[in-house]
Amino acid sequence: MNNITYEEQTKITRAIIKAAVLMLEFGAESKLIEDTAQRLGKALGVDSVEVSLIPSAIVLSTLNNNQTQSVTTTRRAHHKPINMSIVCDVQKMCIDVEKYKKDVDYVFESIKNIKPNLYNRWLVVFMVGLSCASFAYLYGADLNGFLITFLAATVAMYVRHELAIKKFVLIISFGITAFVATLIASLSQIYELSNTPNIVMTASVILLAPGFPFVNSVLDAVKGYLSMGWGRWMQALLLSIATSIGIILAFALLSMRGW
Amino acid sequence: MEIFTEYLLNAIFSAIPAVGFAMVFNVPRTALIFCALGGAIGYTTRFALMDLNMPIELATFLASTLIGVIALYWSRKYIVPRPVYTIASIIPLLPGTYAFTAIINLLQMNAQGVSPELITIFIDNGLKAVIILGGIGFGLAIPSLVFMRYNRPII
Repeated sequence: MNNITYEEQTKITRAIIKAAVLMLEFGAESKLIEDTAQRLGKALGVDSVEVSLIPSAIVLSTLNNNQTQSVTTTRRAHHKPINMSIVCDVQKMCIDVEKYKKDVDYVFESIKNIKPNLYNRWLVVFMVGLSCASFAYLYGADLNGFLITFLAATVAMYVRHELAIKKFVLIISFGITAFVATLIASLSQIYELSNTPNIVMTASVILLAPGFPFVNSVLDAVKGYLSMGWGRWMQALLLSIATSIGIILAFALLSMRGW
Repeated sequence: MEIFTEYLLNAIFSAIPAVGFAMVFNVPRTALIFCALGGAIGYTTRFALMDLNMPIELATFLASTLIGVIALYWSRKYIVPRPVYTIASIIPLLPGTYAFTAIINLLQMNAQGVSPELITIFIDNGLKAVIILGGIGFGLAIPSLVFMRYNRPII
């Protein structure tokens, strides 16, 4: 019924996969990516959209004219730090396209205009320090423990930001951050500042807990995206191992000096 | 009265990490207050259920199911994908101490040699950490799994 030429369909496919890659890169779950791609496709006028997801790439086909005309394309996804505001913007754009019957150019235009909603760097550093200190309170630390955790986590978050700006791989920056956090937190044990040194050390490395990949992996797996679930699980496991190695190195250094 | 103060303090100190980590994930500014609310609700629910002598795994599962249901309602109301609310809200429930103790025990086993006591502590803590983590994931997934039979998008 609707006659879309091959060129037009290619353009629609490019627009859809651009949105999908953006969502995958910034940490949306698989169900959301597939739903968004299919809704965008329906709103832009193709018959159906088929998506195949693996952790590092997306393959996407659009079908039209009684499934006789098919366009398939692949994009590599480079994982970036999680940014929920971009995922929100893409979803909002998809709903706008559905509601107000916008065309392909609108999709390209609004994807180009998406800006990450970045918080002030020092505010984030302070809030994460306070968060880890709150964890120390919840786990039952005393006042000194609370303060040392705040110090350790603030410095660690600052180090993590610096490493992220210098474009280090996530695994390396997690290891170094855990090392720094454990070194500072162990002051509480060395100088006996706090009665709960274990809690202080736990709480100051909790800013490295890969909660997002772990939860996403369970969500993906139970919704039928098994390979994505394994991929994210592996990613979270690697980050945890990097954190553990940082902690191990810090302990090794401390025991070397005879503490 | 004492119990009330304890609950209030716990709620406040669990709302702070939810907001802090929400900032790390760059959630939109309007969602921050809901992340704080979700974190407080989740942790308080688990705390209350554990006061009723429920094991921590089951309490965590029920608390994250509650967060999932509330986030479902919020996401339909404000047209925002659910992970924005849910993942920041479950941050206070993460089994940090269990995981950390398990890793430290692994180190001790390497340094001092394996002994039955260390293995006991390691398996105890590691198992708890993994089960709590699974409980969080499944709890969050339940509302959307129930919704799946309608075969239409949630928002």
